Amino acid sequence: MTEDDDATLVRRCREGDRTAFEQLVVRYQKPVFNAALRLLRDPEDARDVAQTTFLKVYEHIGDYNPSFKFYSWIYRIAINESLNALGARKPCEGFNGEEADAAPGPERQLEGQQTGRAIEEALMRIKPELRTVIVLRHFMHLSYQDMGDILLLPEKTVKSRLYSARQLLRDRLLQGGVI
Amino acid sequence: MADSGRLALIHAEIDGELDGRQRAELARALLADPEIQVLREDLQRVCAALDVLEDVDPPQQLRQSVLDALPQSTPSRARSWWSAPRLRYAALIAGVLAVGTVLYETVESPRPATSDLAGTMAAAGAATTLDTVQLSSEVVSGRVSLYRDRAGLGLKFELVASAAVDVLVASEGRTVRVNGLGVRDAPGVPRTTVALPGFGRSGEAVEVTFLMAGREVGRATLRLPKDR
Repeated sequence: MTEDDDATLVRRCREGDRTAFEQLVVRYQKPVFNAALRLLRDPEDARDVAQTTFLKVYEHIGDYNPSFKFYSWIYRIAINESLNALGARKPCEGFNGEEADAAPGPERQLEGQQTGRAIEEALMRIKPELRTVIVLRHFMHLSYQDMGDILLLPEKTVKSRLYSARQLLRDRLLQGGVI
Repeated sequence: MADSGRLALIHAEIDGELDGRQRAELARALLADPEIQVLREDLQRVCAALDVLEDVDPPQQLRQSVLDALPQSTPSRARSWWSAPRLRYAALIAGVLAVGTVLYETVESPRPATSDLAGTMAAAGAATTLDTVQLSSEVVSGRVSLYRDRAGLGLKFELVASAAVDVLVASEGRTVRVNGLGVRDAPGVPRTTVALPGFGRSGEAVEVTFLMAGREVGRATLRLPKDR
């Protein structure tokens, strides 16, 4: 069976077909959840953001302009919801209250796990707007153009933010002896 | 301290966006300034570490909780954005301009020189194929081959895809990204070769991830012979 493309599913969804919407949820739940998780670093908050994102998609699918890519639209909603959730946090609540342990426990003795954790922590220490471009590029593997479409920014600004974000991450990781 | 132009070249290289002229410019900068080399290696390590962080599966109940929370009413009907007269005229003008551009590109535009197309692409002449992986999914099919020639390791892609495919290549902490593969612009299977400078020094495998619209649509592992 051939998988319906996004446009077909959106059209069916607009006609009231809930199974089409369910297919969109199945298709996009992983990237939407992961984008929120990387921005918020809290699985509960990420789940809430993912749920809100899909409900907003359902509610506003009539406003979606099919001449634009559906995934740009849904990712834009997910990013905005994540940033809203970040903004609602208390100032000191940057990331779940966890710091890197001086002595890693047995469950994270693998170098790769430690590096991953250090990177996640470094990510949480850069501004949300810079973190967002890292998430879109390195975790969602989107092009500059798609990133610009999602963030409503020119490609030049997207690149500038991405370069700044990478260099800040590099500085943080060098300071921490991770790279 | 590296100037912004050189920094931009390093980032563009990481993103697979360098053309042949920029690649040569970066190579000269790397030779001339060890600080640039260090910075490039640091940034490559950062990006490689970011790229290997794995996605997390969403909670199993997410889909059901979304469906349970849906209102009983049908989603809002599409608003007829097309019906606004100004939008109709704007679209008409855009269409005329687009057709004009296509006609100009087809009839008048000079063809780019081969060197302009080089970028990350490499000639695969006199190459020895080391490993090949066949791909067959609904969205991307064909094969990818790992080869070695005088310049070093490279990948040859022979792909047909339902839309442009981006490829992330990773090995030994190095990554290369190539965008827009698999699109037919002539009869036959589109072929692209990609040089992998610096790859294959100590690693035994090259991981290739295929992405479409930001979503992973395939993955292949090509192995280097152990007795090379």
